[in-house]
Amino acid sequence: MPILNPNIETMSRKELLELQLERLQIVVNQAYSNVDFYRKKFDEAGLSPDEIKTLDDLRRISFTTRKDLMDNYPYGMFAVPLRDVVRLQFPLGMYGNPIVIGYTREDLKMWNELVARVMVAIGINEHDIIQVAFNYGLFIGAVRFNQSAELIGAAVIPTSIASGEVQVKIMQDFRSTVLTSAPSFAIHIMETMQKKEMDPKTLSLRIGLFGAESWPEEVRQALESYFNIQAYEIFGVTELIEPGVAGECMAKNGLHVFEDHFLPEIIDPNTGEVLGEGREGELVLTTLTNRAYPLLRYRTSDVTSLTSEVCPCGRTLARMSKVLKRTDQMVCVRGINVFPEKVKEVLSGFEGVGPGCSLVTQGKRGMNDHLTIRVEASPGILQAREEEKTSLRQKIQLAFRRAVGIGVEIEFVREV
Amino acid sequence: MLKVKNIEAFFGEIQVLRHISLHVEAKEIVSLIGANGAGKTTLLNVISGLHPSRNGSRIFMDVETRGLRAEKIVALGLVQVPETDKVFNPLTVRENLELGAYLRRKDAVPFGEKMKRVFELFPILEKRQGQPAGMLSGGERQMLALGKALMGDPKMLMLDEPSLGLAPTIVSEMFRVVQSLNRQGKTILLVEQNARETLRISHRGYVLDMGRIVLSGTGEELLNNEEVKRAFLGKDYHQKWER
Repeated sequence: MPILNPNIETMSRKELLELQLERLQIVVNQAYSNVDFYRKKFDEAGLSPDEIKTLDDLRRISFTTRKDLMDNYPYGMFAVPLRDVVRLQFPLGMYGNPIVIGYTREDLKMWNELVARVMVAIGINEHDIIQVAFNYGLFIGAVRFNQSAELIGAAVIPTSIASGEVQVKIMQDFRSTVLTSAPSFAIHIMETMQKKEMDPKTLSLRIGLFGAESWPEEVRQALESYFNIQAYEIFGVTELIEPGVAGECMAKNGLHVFEDHFLPEIIDPNTGEVLGEGREGELVLTTLTNRAYPLLRYRTSDVTSLTSEVCPCGRTLARMSKVLKRTDQMVCVRGINVFPEKVKEVLSGFEGVGPGCSLVTQGKRGMNDHLTIRVEASPGILQAREEEKTSLRQKIQLAFRRAVGIGVEIEFVREV
Repeated sequence: MLKVKNIEAFFGEIQVLRHISLHVEAKEIVSLIGANGAGKTTLLNVISGLHPSRNGSRIFMDVETRGLRAEKIVALGLVQVPETDKVFNPLTVRENLELGAYLRRKDAVPFGEKMKRVFELFPILEKRQGQPAGMLSGGERQMLALGKALMGDPKMLMLDEPSLGLAPTIVSEMFRVVQSLNRQGKTILLVEQNARETLRISHRGYVLDMGRIVLSGTGEELLNNEEVKRAFLGKDYHQKWER
């Protein structure tokens, strides 16, 4: 099976752990000397960076959370001056202060390679035509597919969020061999074709690369059998790199974590205790090479488990299981993350509604494509004339579209 | 080939190396760069057994060399070319080279063959073989020092500032020699202040600052890294948001 960087991807576990330690010590040194947040964290804990002598010593460092990133907005978490940064990204839909993530030129190069590793691992090569149907506006990782495809010489068609019909037409006319998108959008394309009774044999697709939202096995089966493709997953974490932290290989038995750049741990989300191999818990990641935005023990809120058994593909990199759960209340709708905190923030701009609300998602096959927000409303609103209610509902919907980027349904209720 | 883990070293009470971990693969040129006093020379001295380390391990070709005497480490094939006092001034060039082979006198490669190789690499030494080393120019002494190390037929060479005090034309000649030695299969750990030239010929490098490794990467990555430039020129900004 093809491997882009065999020196790393098939390295012995022993050597890999040594490389990780070497890099961990460097990133700890950098974080301590260049990031006030980490210096303070170490000093307050009475911990010196010199005490990190084994990979297990990592546990002596306390976790970094999303709140830490927000509190240090905008540049407090940067380990390099802005003049070294060539890309600034902020995920939409975050509540409170946004999060700003910076990348140096080297960081982007690393990121390009990691996405290319996944492409190669699932059999994409220079003969492929990759149709990228991710939302380039809302999913900031979408553009990475362009650059990584260039790295391996494949051609890219960024169709972004063109309608289902347009996607199909382009797939047919351009003979796209790879479709990469949120799995829910692939299902949407499939349903578009089914509705119009189009023949999937008119397509040249052979591989699907999906990510940015969780999708159960039955979705994979549905897409594979309808399109007659092999479907694989790529995983990422917005605050580090998304996509590209991990990806499946042809063996489809878990996602290989790129441990030469990210050190994974699984913890009990309630106690913070580190759990052993095979145990399910929250994924915690430490960046080993990110220059601009090093994160030590970042809590991702994603629930998974790890194994370091060698994979039939020959890779020695540990594998994580598919992420199907979160430890927080975030919901993912058509690949876009929506936090309840953000919803409350938007509602606070309107009188007589909220803060009480609940998020109700609807969808098929375990994925969400519709979000209804049930909002507590004052009696005045509940008893108002239908036109008035509709007008308020539309205003709130517009506010959500601006704040989160997606359309939602609004329902006024007495209490949630 | 060489794996160093958590090395700490002191001058009296002053700690000069803090948990240094690094590795060198066979046939690589790996460079250690950093400002004066960063701990580069001490690190080489620790690896070659000339300076004690308090903790950590140093594995050369699967042998733990911690606690081994310096000559034993040389006999294993790990040879350091020091920054100063590289050659014995009163001895002739030829005698200096003979000394270099002393610890490896039971080697498979015959003595004459080794001498021939050194003379091929440095024709000037052949011409001057009868002269006392003290009569040589700076560049020639540097070549003799390298030649002396090569007489030990080392598997890995550690070079400490080979370009120090040399005229610019000799400096580039020196880097060419290092590169050609590497092409002949020698593994090289190179300490230099001349970061640009060094990184240009290095496969990988580490940046040392105040006894800690603060950066690693391929030669090319480090060459283009702003942090590296700052490591030599000092901090060139006051606020993080400056462009």
